[in-house]
Amino acid sequence: MGDLWTGFVVALQPLNLLWGFAGVTLGTAVGVLPGIGPALTVALLLPVTYGLDPTAALIMFAGIYYGAMYGGSTTSILLNTPGESATMVTAIDGHQMARHGRAGAALATSAIGSFVAGTLATLALSLTAPLMVRMALAFGSAEYFALMMLAFVTVTTVLGGPGSRLAGWVSLMLGLVLGGVGIDGLSGQARFTFGLPYLLDGIDPVIVAIGLFAVGETLWVISRGPEADEVLPVNGALWMSREEWRRSWRPWLRGTAIGFPMGALPAGGAELPTLMSYAIEKRLSSRPEEFGHGAIEAVAGPEAANNASAAGTLVPLLTLGLPTSATAAVLLAAFQQFGLQPGPLLFEHEPRLVWGVIASLYLGNVMLLVLNLPLVGLWVKLLSIPRPWLYGGILVVASLGAFSVHRSAGDLVLVALVGMAGFLLRRLNAPVAPVMIGLILGPAAEQHLRRALAISQGDWTVFLTRPLSAALLIVAAVIVGIGVSRRRAAPGRIEP
Amino acid sequence: MPGRVVVLLLLAATPLRAQSSLTIVAPAAPGGGWDQTARVMQRVLAEIEPATSVQVDNIPGAAGTIGLARFVQSERGNPHALLVTGLVMVSGVIINLSPVSLSDATPIARLTGETEVIVVPATSPIQTLGDLLEVFTRDPGSVSWGGGSAGGTDDLLVRLLAEQAGLPASRVNYIAFAGGGAALAAVLGGQVTVAVSGYGEFAGQIAAGQLRPLAISAAEHIPGIDTATLRELGVPLDLANWRAIVAPPGLSDAERDALTARVTRMATSDAWRAAMARNGWDDLFLPGTGFRQFLLSEQARVEAVLQRLALAETGPRPQFALSVTPATIPNLMVAIFGALATALWVSRRRDRTRPIDSPSVSTPKSRLPAPGILAAALLAQPLIMITAGFVMSSTLLFMVTASAWRGVWPAPPTLAKDGLVGGLFAGFIYLVFSAGLGVALP
Repeated sequence: MGDLWTGFVVALQPLNLLWGFAGVTLGTAVGVLPGIGPALTVALLLPVTYGLDPTAALIMFAGIYYGAMYGGSTTSILLNTPGESATMVTAIDGHQMARHGRAGAALATSAIGSFVAGTLATLALSLTAPLMVRMALAFGSAEYFALMMLAFVTVTTVLGGPGSRLAGWVSLMLGLVLGGVGIDGLSGQARFTFGLPYLLDGIDPVIVAIGLFAVGETLWVISRGPEADEVLPVNGALWMSREEWRRSWRPWLRGTAIGFPMGALPAGGAELPTLMSYAIEKRLSSRPEEFGHGAIEAVAGPEAANNASAAGTLVPLLTLGLPTSATAAVLLAAFQQFGLQPGPLLFEHEPRLVWGVIASLYLGNVMLLVLNLPLVGLWVKLLSIPRPWLYGGILVVASLGAFSVHRSAGDLVLVALVGMAGFLLRRLNAPVAPVMIGLILGPAAEQHLRRALAISQGDWTVFLTRPLSAALLIVAAVIVGIGVSRRRAAPGRIEP
Repeated sequence: MPGRVVVLLLLAATPLRAQSSLTIVAPAAPGGGWDQTARVMQRVLAEIEPATSVQVDNIPGAAGTIGLARFVQSERGNPHALLVTGLVMVSGVIINLSPVSLSDATPIARLTGETEVIVVPATSPIQTLGDLLEVFTRDPGSVSWGGGSAGGTDDLLVRLLAEQAGLPASRVNYIAFAGGGAALAAVLGGQVTVAVSGYGEFAGQIAAGQLRPLAISAAEHIPGIDTATLRELGVPLDLANWRAIVAPPGLSDAERDALTARVTRMATSDAWRAAMARNGWDDLFLPGTGFRQFLLSEQARVEAVLQRLALAETGPRPQFALSVTPATIPNLMVAIFGALATALWVSRRRDRTRPIDSPSVSTPKSRLPAPGILAAALLAQPLIMITAGFVMSSTLLFMVTASAWRGVWPAPPTLAKDGLVGGLFAGFIYLVFSAGLGVALP
């Protein structure tokens, strides 16, 4: 707890407070705006934050991540288009509530639920991170390799969803192939560089994130043609009746309980916990027939779950250096930009930074509650930006961001190519987040594999004789097994 | 000496305007040792040569060889440019098969260095360097050495040490980590037998008694470090992770001497000494001819050990049941990706041949093939940006995106409105970035 206290001292410094505020404000804005999300925003900001103090920059980035989880729900409720993929479920009943003139209550339960879940989950993060750190020191290369295999399998299976699991694997493999480009860290040999010095340092994850999330997303939206968008007005008080409070608090707590561990496990972001929370609330409700027509539980639960999972994601990211969502992957790149390697030693070497960032999350939650409840009207105005101009602006900022990473126009070509690949993946119904995970974790997994083999002098049994690594690999194999057997059972599907 | 400096300075100052600026190229991303060296030089020079405006340029990539190549090609004959370099670039040139080497630049001076340290965990049965070398020579494979990236200073030190112990460099079981921090975790966790890194990286754990230092690699004893050097322990080997300054090729002797004099003045100033102490750098200042000879001998030594290593690696491989070479994993990934992508394509085609064809697939004639147009615009944008500038290219991109979103040919008034908004937006961003954040845009 002493560490957390130090963290608060760091986070309460006026400048850090200011950066934290900038982060949550920007996060809410990108959360509200469709087409631009936290992963892309952090990627775009990376090149211009070189000169910043790492603590301040990371406090801002963490604020963007949290803020986007709050802001996304506003768009879901008022526009029926999720501002973020994690708020997809909120749109179902939230929009119905707004149609029936209960937008105020829907916005209130999602903002307060986000606050409750965000704060509880941050508390859980503060408590579990030190435990994880102690465990992580026992991790050798064999264990890291096994853990990364598990992350690949779960992220791909979960995000792939039923019917498009094969597409998820294609995304992951694309990321792994791109990750193979550049100088091999273990031998110093150049691979897949085709003699181009440009490729020697590999493909920058920031460039790929910009390509996938800005260009790919815009191409996808454009290919579907213009959609009618009608922003519903916020009617009624931005508050809840006693009845609505009574119906909300249990879903908040259940959402937190689902979201935090699901985010902490390498299970791929916030989509799954929100779906699970929806399903559980529907099963437990005494009025399941209301679900889909504006049940407040169906807003409260998933909104709590997505915020809790954002905090959960930070556990493996900070303690093991293992990103489990696209945003976490970009955050890892942010740490590396400042020469910091998340992992157990980060807590030892940079306690002020790590705990400062964690403490800033508590403060960020308070700021976000204020930003999203009394000031929600301001964010609604953002939705009145004409869509053609919004996407035009996103692409201009994206090309600027891509250019400023290395001041190289060649990167813009890469962004365009990656964007087209991302568009093709979307057309094939494939999730794009596995590309990021593969790109970032692929080279690390390969290095751990070869390192483990070098230490054991070529003996492959190390992965099975070490209990932790064996357990992780068995879980991964079981998940693949389940995926394969389900696909076999489904008629008309091809063999894996 | 000061008199000579003044004369040389005057000689160099003949074109007066140009003398007032100096570019220091750091061939690495911001934050690393080379970048820090460049930034400290910038600060110290600003203090002792107030008339000079010094700017630092980062050209990261491939162990500095990308920066070196660009420096040698584009700054030829320019007496107002310097490049920060070091031991890692010497091996980087060889490993990356760089067409340009440090011999193509004009050596100015070696500035600083950091000693390496060899450590084992406090719980290790190995007590002394003698113990380590004894186990190592008996069964080289059983000793795993953790350190930084392949071809870096840590790797070189271990290979050179092996050769001193009478073993071929290729027999070292070297485990490369992303950096000293990762190697530290591995040695503390008992994953590797011994670890090698810059002293500063391990200093905290050595002081805390978690790591036992066996030897440092400096040529002489370093005040403040208790550990004996390799030489003191009877191994005739020293290696420092040195950093130095070189100038572009094609300088006259007078220009070279003038630059050397300026760097000398900087490196002997109090401000520089204070900065070295702050950063934990050892003073290894060696200007002019001495440095030229040192550079040649380092190049010869590094090249020799890396060549012997490369020769051994092309020979027959050890008999691992399933050996994983650097090429194995990437090729496997490409194969699996190809197979899966084909499978996905085939399955989607099969789905599509069914009669339920979604209407969006057949595009109505009135609509633009919007994604195609936008993709073409994105590919053309870099070219336009270089030739016509950021504001122009961004405005065009904005207009194309907006039209593509609407999906119809825009009416002239709409187009004009898009252009105005896009132009204002791009202009605003340009101002913010170039004036406010110092990011130069074309």
